[in-house]
Amino acid sequence: MAGAASALFLLDIKGRVLVWRDYRGDVSAAQAERCFTKLIEKEGDPQSQDPVVYDDGVTYMYIQHNNVYLMTASRQNCNAASLLLFLHRVVDVFKHYFEELEEESLRDNFVVVYELLDEIMDFGYPQYTEAKILSEFIKTDAYRMEVTQRPPMAVTNAVSWRSEGIRYKKNEVFLDVVESVNILVNSNGQIVRSDVVGALKMRTYLSGMPECKLGLNDRVLLEAQGRATKGKAIDLDDIKFHQCVRLARFENDRTISFIPPDGSFDLMTYRLSTQVKPLIWVEAQVERHSRSRMEMTVKARSQFKERSTATNVEIELPVPSDATNPNIRTSMGSSTYAPENDALVWKIKSFPGGKEYMLRAEFTLPSITAEEPLPERKAPIRVKFEIPYFTVSGIQVRYLKIIEKSGYQALPWVRYITMAGEYELRLI
Amino acid sequence: MAPPPVYNQRSPSPSQPSGKGEVSDLKMQLRQLAGSRAPGTDDAKRDLFKKVISYMTIGIDVSSVFSEMVMCSATSDIVLKKMCYLYVGNYAKHNPDLSLLTINFLQRDCKDEDPMIRGLALRSLCSLRVANLVEYLVGPLGSGLKDSNNYVRMVAAMGVLKLYHISASTCVDADFPTTLKHLMLNDPDAQVVANCLSALQEIWSLEASKSEEASREREALLSKPVVYYLLNRIKEFNEWAQCVVLELVAKYVPSDSNDIFDIMNLLEDRLQHANGAVVLATIKVFLQLTLSMTDVHQQVYERIKAPLLTLMSSGSPEQSYAMLSHLHLLVMRAPYIFSSDYKNFYCQYNEPFYVKKLKLEMLTAVANESNTYEIVTELCEYAANVDIPIARESIRAVGKIALQQYDVNAIVDRLLQFLEMEKDYVTAETLVLVKDLLRKYPQWSHDCIAVVGNISSKNVQEPKAKAALIWMLGEYAQDMQDAPYILESLIENWDEEHSAEVRLHLLTAVMKCFLRRPPETQKALGDALASGLADFHQDVHDRAMLYYRLLQYDVSVAERVVNPPKQAVSVFADTQSSEIKDRIFDEFNSLSVVYQKPSYMFTDKEHRGPFAFSEELGSLSIGVESADNIVTAQRVEANDKDLLLGTSEKEESRGPGNNGSAYNAPAYDGSPALTAALQTQLDLVSLDHTPAASVSSTSLAIDDLLGLGLPVASTPAPPPPPALELNPKAVLDPNSFQQKWRQLPISISQEISISPQGITALTTPQALIRHMQGQSIHCMASGGQAPNFKFFFFAQKAKESSNYLVECIINTSASKAQLKIKADDQSTSEAFSSLFQSALSKFGLP
Repeated sequence: MAGAASALFLLDIKGRVLVWRDYRGDVSAAQAERCFTKLIEKEGDPQSQDPVVYDDGVTYMYIQHNNVYLMTASRQNCNAASLLLFLHRVVDVFKHYFEELEEESLRDNFVVVYELLDEIMDFGYPQYTEAKILSEFIKTDAYRMEVTQRPPMAVTNAVSWRSEGIRYKKNEVFLDVVESVNILVNSNGQIVRSDVVGALKMRTYLSGMPECKLGLNDRVLLEAQGRATKGKAIDLDDIKFHQCVRLARFENDRTISFIPPDGSFDLMTYRLSTQVKPLIWVEAQVERHSRSRMEMTVKARSQFKERSTATNVEIELPVPSDATNPNIRTSMGSSTYAPENDALVWKIKSFPGGKEYMLRAEFTLPSITAEEPLPERKAPIRVKFEIPYFTVSGIQVRYLKIIEKSGYQALPWVRYITMAGEYELRLI
Repeated sequence: MAPPPVYNQRSPSPSQPSGKGEVSDLKMQLRQLAGSRAPGTDDAKRDLFKKVISYMTIGIDVSSVFSEMVMCSATSDIVLKKMCYLYVGNYAKHNPDLSLLTINFLQRDCKDEDPMIRGLALRSLCSLRVANLVEYLVGPLGSGLKDSNNYVRMVAAMGVLKLYHISASTCVDADFPTTLKHLMLNDPDAQVVANCLSALQEIWSLEASKSEEASREREALLSKPVVYYLLNRIKEFNEWAQCVVLELVAKYVPSDSNDIFDIMNLLEDRLQHANGAVVLATIKVFLQLTLSMTDVHQQVYERIKAPLLTLMSSGSPEQSYAMLSHLHLLVMRAPYIFSSDYKNFYCQYNEPFYVKKLKLEMLTAVANESNTYEIVTELCEYAANVDIPIARESIRAVGKIALQQYDVNAIVDRLLQFLEMEKDYVTAETLVLVKDLLRKYPQWSHDCIAVVGNISSKNVQEPKAKAALIWMLGEYAQDMQDAPYILESLIENWDEEHSAEVRLHLLTAVMKCFLRRPPETQKALGDALASGLADFHQDVHDRAMLYYRLLQYDVSVAERVVNPPKQAVSVFADTQSSEIKDRIFDEFNSLSVVYQKPSYMFTDKEHRGPFAFSEELGSLSIGVESADNIVTAQRVEANDKDLLLGTSEKEESRGPGNNGSAYNAPAYDGSPALTAALQTQLDLVSLDHTPAASVSSTSLAIDDLLGLGLPVASTPAPPPPPALELNPKAVLDPNSFQQKWRQLPISISQEISISPQGITALTTPQALIRHMQGQSIHCMASGGQAPNFKFFFFAQKAKESSNYLVECIINTSASKAQLKIKADDQSTSEAFSSLFQSALSKFGLP
């Protein structure tokens, strides 16, 4: 048996129950609260922060979002991966309803919260967690609601993610191809690991039941069609599709065809584990003059083609926690000292390809050090950036066709962007 | 319907209404609105209802407005209805007077023309959990299951399960399970089907212990037609319902390899589903289906690698945590699968501790000849850089890799560098590792001792590290110039040493040192023995006493006991038997994997389905022979723990599990003095020996379990069994017996008659136990009084270490015995059965 949850709790930051829904009646709120507050008290100890906790025959699984904890309790051997994922889905549902999920938004909306908790799970088994479907029968603004309420059509519909009768004046589709680059460079300047996680994010404003078809420069497909593939095709490693995509069809002939849900969703995600050249390279040299002064020289270099430009570049440089009196000069951009993170943040609005910029900083260090110095937490240099109109993988949308029986013309808009994911350089 | 968050102890803050006045106000206003038909009434009601719900949620008792709420609920406004259901659900339970009122009101709504209201009312009705009112549920549920609207049917299917939990008999008497089954196989709506399936799985597995029919029905859920029917519809289900179906399919026993490939082809695309839970459930199906096909099983590992890594590295840290637990389980079964993907397990700076810790475990597990160097280099970065807990874990990981025998040379250098870093926590962790390392690779002693000798014992405070250092001082007393003097100074501070473990090690070390360098150590030994004899800790006292008497008796004997020639430890005993690991693998995609223990160790009995075994066994007294066995098992376990001083973090993980085996205790309690003495003696010796028993039992368990997960049908027809020979010295600890008994199907069940001589000889269970042991059949537990005796026997095949388990109930007045035989190797159970019967028939013969 997969196992069912006994109850679902929403707790505040101190671990007190805000709202909860008892599904099976075998775990009490007091019991859960007791266990969870105990857990929170141990906050300083990282070893006791596992998201799955066992206490007195009950397994608690929790996640945090803003100042709210969401937690399931269960006495059965339930499915850990799926319940944790479920909790994240619940967060998405609440976000859809209240813009942001936090203690205040819950307190203001007890009734809707109860209604939702009632529909997303029944007797501990997850039911519907799609905000789009739920919002067909649980309206936020109760006053706007019609008096006669039909159960959700989507529940019976073959296309459970889209309801019928959607109308737009202007039919449009926005497709964002977003790639984030994860990179880890060790202290010798070697790339220890690198990969690219990509997502095709879609926002659809389409009437009726549109049938969409997406063409990519997927090597397997192009080769199957006998087209020339020199340099233009890409290998997609591990692809995951939104449930609207006909997976069997993709398995057969690599066509991505689907009826999209209304609004925004992730059509497809993929991962490439190819070696990527670091797009922005940062090196820092630290010199300690005497015991009271420290000087830092930082070089940042963009290693992509000149025709692209990185925007919103943010370089976070770790500095000792007892450094004071920063004196910073940069050849480009601005820099601020963020003592709360023990870091220096260097921001560059626009960073064209093939350029190099410099930063010099001086700090004062206390001349008296503690007798037993605390172990240093050596943090890596971390970089954030965005490069529009550019993808690392070279993925291209060849076409996006939209066919609806009413025959309207829809406008597809496609945009490419590359971002820094976990981008860490231990070069300091 | 919803919760009773009645927290009287929590005093409301000043801004919150204090209760009384506001509640009576509400009551007044509600009463006024109840009869009103004026336009806008609903809006006013909504405001009031919302207030009531808010009060209820923050813990103010609003049960006094119950009747007004019910009066106001005569409306077609669905939000009002929902609030009202929520309210009555909360208070009806604690207020039996009101329950009947509630039920009437809900029953009426179950017939409403709006399907949404019908569904909601039915759900609330079933959630009331008032046992004496179940009779009112049957009607609405029956019509709910037949409702034309799918929402109502979906709610009703779950409602049946709720009813079952309130009153199983009512549910079964109304024949609801059969209706559910019909609905599951015919309903056009996928969610209705899914809910029926969830409900039926729960009901039938709980019923299975009570009726044969239910257990047949439970089997029927796993029959080919049902499984195929669900698989063919899988695309209609939503993501969570797909998980339910896949979980069922994972238990399906395919009839042949075509069957397997059909299912895998059908499900292949599920690996691309965006929901990680679906992907993981699919992976489970693939792994379970191909268990019997080694080649395909390997291919499956290749296929699932990419999706697993993606799930691990993208998504929330919580998801990574769950995925890493699963990866760890897989890598234990097939270490090579991720050996080239080790970089995926490098830690990122801002990952939470729980993810990093599992990643370190993965790095340890995937290390092999080709990647060790790079992995260890990365681990050294963590040891030097990041926060202390991770630094410690990293050092431990380096040590574990060293013990796996790859590139030890470089690792020893690294470990010694750690010692030179002069950070207390690094030194402490490293010392423990160096000790384990030396026990495995004594050839490194020279290099290590040189560095260890420079460590001032004052800088080492943690008991484990201190114990390790002291062990090395004793063990290498000859090579370390200062050893006797360091020990002497430690003994001077005997009274300040709080850890008994350290004091025990101190005693042993000073003994060893004395035997090698008597003149220098004599004084220290005298002091140590004196302090030891005066020690309040029993073990320390006993060990001191033992040494004292040994020395008194004969120094050369003492030498042989304390300082025997040593063999390097080749393998450190695994903390978990492979049996447990297989059991966890069977429960892939559940909490068992996260906790690294099978579900029976952490769930209550009623939550894991019926199996009365442990109680049955526990209530029996333990045969004389088996008591012996248990002590052996305990002994092995004690040794393990001692051996694994530094390397076993998983040690704790089996703690709670042992509570399950209540019958260990009597054996211990019976002879505390003896076991304690044994214990001390063993502690002493165990430092120097690998217990042979534990090694052999590990390898034996591996063999045992090879066939365990295999579907019975696909086992190839065995060659005609040769005459069966049993191992006269078979060993099986009660825990594994219990698990096996639970896992294995009954292969033979029969009733035989016993000769009159046998009956006359059977005055006590012990007589038979002794006789059977003569035939290489051992007793696990026995009990009962004339005329009824009950025995659990076990036996092992002579060379293959395949087990046979027997439950034997003897009724002396009827001269009959009932046998139930379970076997690891089903094909030989016939042969064993005849062997067993002939052994039994000889009982009582002169």
